[in-house]
Amino acid sequence: MLKMNQINKVFRTEVVETHALRNFSLHVQEGEFVTITGPSGCGKTTFLNLAGLLETFTSGQYVLDGEDVSRLGDYQRAKVRNEKIGFIFQSFNLMPDLNLFDNVDVPLRYRGMRAAERKLRIEKALDSVGLLSRKNHLPSQLSGGQQQRVAIARALVGEPRFLLADEPTGNLDSNTASGVMELLHEINAAGTTIIMVTHDPSLATQSHRNVHILDGQVQSDNTNHVKAA
Amino acid sequence: MEIGPIYRALMRNRLGVILIAAQIAFTLTVIVNAVYIINDRGELMARPSGTDEANLFFINNIGYGDTYNEAVVSAEDLDMIRQLPGVTAATIINAIPVSGSGSSTGMATVAGRIEGVVPTAVYTVDEQALSTLGVELVAGRDFTATDVRYRNDSIARGDNEIIITVAMAEALFPGEGMQAVGRTIYDVNQNASVIIGLVARLQAPWPQSSFVENSMLIPEVYIDNSAIYLVRTEPGQRDRLMVEVEERLAASGHSRILRNNRSLEERRAESYRIDSAMSTILVAVIGTLMFITAMGIVGLAVFSINRRRKQIGTRRALGATRPDILRYFLLENLLISTVGVVAGAVLAIAFNLFLVQNFDMSRIDWYYAPAGMVVLLILGQLAVIGPAISATRISPALATRSI
Ligand SMILES: Nc1ncnc2c1ncn2[C@@H]1O[C@H](COP(=O)(O)OP(=O)(O)OP(=O)(O)O)[C@@H](O)[C@H]1O
Ligand SMILES: [Mg+2]
Repeated sequence: MLKMNQINKVFRTEVVETHALRNFSLHVQEGEFVTITGPSGCGKTTFLNLAGLLETFTSGQYVLDGEDVSRLGDYQRAKVRNEKIGFIFQSFNLMPDLNLFDNVDVPLRYRGMRAAERKLRIEKALDSVGLLSRKNHLPSQLSGGQQQRVAIARALVGEPRFLLADEPTGNLDSNTASGVMELLHEINAAGTTIIMVTHDPSLATQSHRNVHILDGQVQSDNTNHVKAA
Repeated sequence: MEIGPIYRALMRNRLGVILIAAQIAFTLTVIVNAVYIINDRGELMARPSGTDEANLFFINNIGYGDTYNEAVVSAEDLDMIRQLPGVTAATIINAIPVSGSGSSTGMATVAGRIEGVVPTAVYTVDEQALSTLGVELVAGRDFTATDVRYRNDSIARGDNEIIITVAMAEALFPGEGMQAVGRTIYDVNQNASVIIGLVARLQAPWPQSSFVENSMLIPEVYIDNSAIYLVRTEPGQRDRLMVEVEERLAASGHSRILRNNRSLEERRAESYRIDSAMSTILVAVIGTLMFITAMGIVGLAVFSINRRRKQIGTRRALGATRPDILRYFLLENLLISTVGVVAGAVLAIAFNLFLVQNFDMSRIDWYYAPAGMVVLLILGQLAVIGPAISATRISPALATRSI
């Protein structure tokens, strides 16, 4: 599903060079639920951005879903993101001026899908996160947990092969967070590969596999035998 | 097309939209009417005077002293001028077309009749008038030397043989102006004048006058020590001859003052100075307004793009390509501008109707408002393209990086 080999990512500013990832290699199988942990600044978000084709890397090879995406152009990368990847962000990143329906619609618009089919999918996605009845509300009229559910609906609506989440529960209290986690487990159980960055060690144990990053390299890669219900 | 969500998002930020749309509407109102006025003035200024303007100049000659005899001096002067190489013809004339000053009278087809009097400019000239002015005789005959009467205050104005413009003949004899030759018309003192010729066109001295196309030529030289010599030259000889004629007149030894040695082109430009100044000001107003409007659009676009950097990054992360982002902002601008130009077209027509009712203005042609709408829509798209391109450069990584 996802194969990163010997990836290097260097941020160059006028003053410093930061090696965010060094000779980073990781393989993720289809259907896995992988959590990524590590101290602040170790390169978790950088890894996620590279995995999600949000950024380019300095050297190495990245094969996604059987396709070498290391040297794709900007336009093709956007298309791959749109069709294969769903994103969930720590601060939800909903469009404040659009209602829930239009928010979930955003990725579908870029796919050039017919209005009738979009509507069907959007309502199904909103229904699956329990917010269909509020499709005409604005994000600001929802709680944080509800907003993150909308963001999850938006990530799922295009039926991506895998889901990338950067601390999806980081801005939520623990009750709300466990609700979101349950939702992610359901999604994973339905077949979507999930890679999730988290600071919370207890969440890390709820996945199939936990990868710990230190200084831009994989420090440990453990399979969890205890799975959450 | 994503007009729906763009429109709904705009509706949540109405103030900026309304301000820019109002500015576009106002700009459209002003430019449509200003362009119309400029074109209107332009047409006015472009009307031909009927004369060979490019090759004409004139000079005022004022004699003084007991021994000065204008009849003798002017005959001598015209003789000298007509013999200069490069001079086509010369005449002595009381006023210059489109110069702003001259004399006028009213003519009627029935002696003593007040109503139906046709106002007209009066040019008193000698027999070389038509060839000097370069006007085109379309019926009847030209003046001859024997037609010309030399007159002063002691000799009353009598009956005349005159040449008038076709426009004036039409005003006197509606529908049969071209058959006016041979007919008699009367001035306010009931002096009779027989029309012996018609010229195609000769404008009065006053370009703003309502009877600017009505002119009457009388073969008469009035002796009062003040004369205007009008000189027509071969093409390209005018400026040289202006100098030469003035020098020779000055050197002739008569006691006189020479003034106003001017070309007709120069005089015409002066007569239309206010019109051309107004056009220049209006062009400046149009340019300024369009610039300010464009800047307003750029400002709003830059502001809203900066405010939405993270949203744009998120859209990119969710699969928007750079062309998608560009299209978003072009469409957004198109929506705002469309509201502005539709309102502006209505306002422009309303404002024009106001001008029609309150000032001496005509209705704008139908295509002015649509043309203005297209121009402002294009201006809007051009103004927004820079900020929109900068928006396409926002990295999708912004979705995860900044809060
Ligand atoms: N755009 C950038 N320019 C320069 N350096 C950067 C940039 N983005 C990240 N870095 C640096 O790269 C390193 C890895 O950053 P990254 O955001 O991946 O860390 P992280 O593990 O996600 O940290 P956190 O847990 O705080 O989110 C850090 O040293 C960071 O300062
Ligand atoms: Mg991070």
